[in-house]
Amino acid sequence: MHHKIHNWTIYSLGDHAIVFALAPKMHFSVLQKLKQLHELIVSKKINGILDVIPSYHTLTIIYDITLFLSPTQNVNNQLQLFSSQILSEFENKALEQNINDFPIYKVPVCYENIFALDIENISKANQISCQEIIQLHTSKQYDVYSIGFLPGFTYMGSVDEKIKITRHPKPRNEVAAGSVGIAGLQTGIYPTNSPGGWQIIGKTPWKIFDPHPNKLAKFKVGDRVQFYAIDKEEFDSLNEHL
Amino acid sequence: MSIKILHKGLADSIQDNGRYGFQHLGIQPNGCMDLLSASLANSILQNDIHTPVIELHFPSSQIQFLEGGIICITGANFVPVLNEKSIALYKPILVKKNDVLSMLQPLEGSIAYVGIKAVYDSPKWLNSHSFNAAKLKTEDVLPFSMYPSDPIIAMQTLNEKLNHALIEQVHNNIFSNTNPIRILPGPAWQDVNENALYELFNTPFTISAQRNRMGYPLTGPKVNLNIPNAYLSSAVTRGTLQLLPNGDLIVLMADHQTIGGYANLGQIILVDLPRFAQMKTGISFKFSVANLETAQTLFRTMYATF
Repeated sequence: MHHKIHNWTIYSLGDHAIVFALAPKMHFSVLQKLKQLHELIVSKKINGILDVIPSYHTLTIIYDITLFLSPTQNVNNQLQLFSSQILSEFENKALEQNINDFPIYKVPVCYENIFALDIENISKANQISCQEIIQLHTSKQYDVYSIGFLPGFTYMGSVDEKIKITRHPKPRNEVAAGSVGIAGLQTGIYPTNSPGGWQIIGKTPWKIFDPHPNKLAKFKVGDRVQFYAIDKEEFDSLNEHL
Repeated sequence: MSIKILHKGLADSIQDNGRYGFQHLGIQPNGCMDLLSASLANSILQNDIHTPVIELHFPSSQIQFLEGGIICITGANFVPVLNEKSIALYKPILVKKNDVLSMLQPLEGSIAYVGIKAVYDSPKWLNSHSFNAAKLKTEDVLPFSMYPSDPIIAMQTLNEKLNHALIEQVHNNIFSNTNPIRILPGPAWQDVNENALYELFNTPFTISAQRNRMGYPLTGPKVNLNIPNAYLSSAVTRGTLQLLPNGDLIVLMADHQTIGGYANLGQIILVDLPRFAQMKTGISFKFSVANLETAQTLFRTMYATF
């Protein structure tokens, strides 16, 4: 199955998933639509839907074949009917939301040298002062494009072209939880200690992933984030990584 | 107190059907690599089908039972021995207090399951006992409890209910089936040139030794794209056939990440995944193209049996 409804392309992914895709671009308007469609589908509590996963420009529904579809009707017809119904409901409901209607998380980051392992590196490569890197990194509001790689790993963008930097060719064996990094035009936060190749410019005292079932990931796709600089003393007083 | 790991294996773990509902937060599903064999073990033991099982790779853990009870081994034949005496697969097996289970040799398949006629008495995390990368360690004690109070009578009942036809059908489907592994085309299919597609379906592949629960890298022809191999990341599934920038292929398995940014060439259909998971390193196989309707019908037939 591969068909188009409005601006959406709908296709099956394997034998137990269906994807709603918009044009592949990293943009607030795309995320806003994904977020609204995600919320609509989840609110309907449809039997047999196991997971709804937004990422950049796609929303993927993982389903249980035996619960989601009937064995007596054609599979493609059922999937087409489901997608056209859900999208017509979506089009009727979806209100153009203003960018300011989305909450902004103000996230503290300590950009001091003990945490900013690669800031000098970016400064040299891009011929820009560390102070300017911090100023540029904190001056923009970022969209959360995707959560993945690790539980709670937050992909955001886009950073200013002047602080764009490629990943380390060889990943570090361990990057500390809370580390804030840049890869290309994206900025991200490591949720747990893990190997990683992003260029690290600071660390947030916030715990952005907590395995407690009521907490889990701090951010969701479509959320907005703006960083602000704190010093080591303030970092220590806010530190949730203890 | 119930089952003790005397010596840890290479990559053994406790697994159930995995967790769904949290992939939007980047939380992986995990779960048994070969759900069919694991379900069969629980079915032979008349357990709830979601009861956690011990998943063994080779070299496998050596396991001691701290209480008597009933177990059932399914999946790969690693030549299981109980106190150095050979035991059968696909049958309920009586174990006594302090018996030791070892696996001698990877004769057939890649993953064995030990089902236990008991309840696993440990907290779940987000609806599942499967934990990403939580390998069993030497000295671990697995809290299985509520063994049958009279195992001899329980054995009789289980043996009477043994469905030989089903067992043979599942076993043959996984281990005696040399048909191609069927995939449904993925979104990057359109970006592969025709020669490469021809190669993909006409040249044999093998699973490389670097396999693990996250993914099975393949050895075979390189596949090239008509465009740069860089996509905005989107959700992947168990069975996703991912093309890496160097032209190599990898199939994502139970501990896969929730999203992927490399070319998605297709997904192995659910009914062929147990067979693929069990395939031994270095054995040649081919891919073929499935259709969605057939894939789902086959899935329904297979899972209706449990």
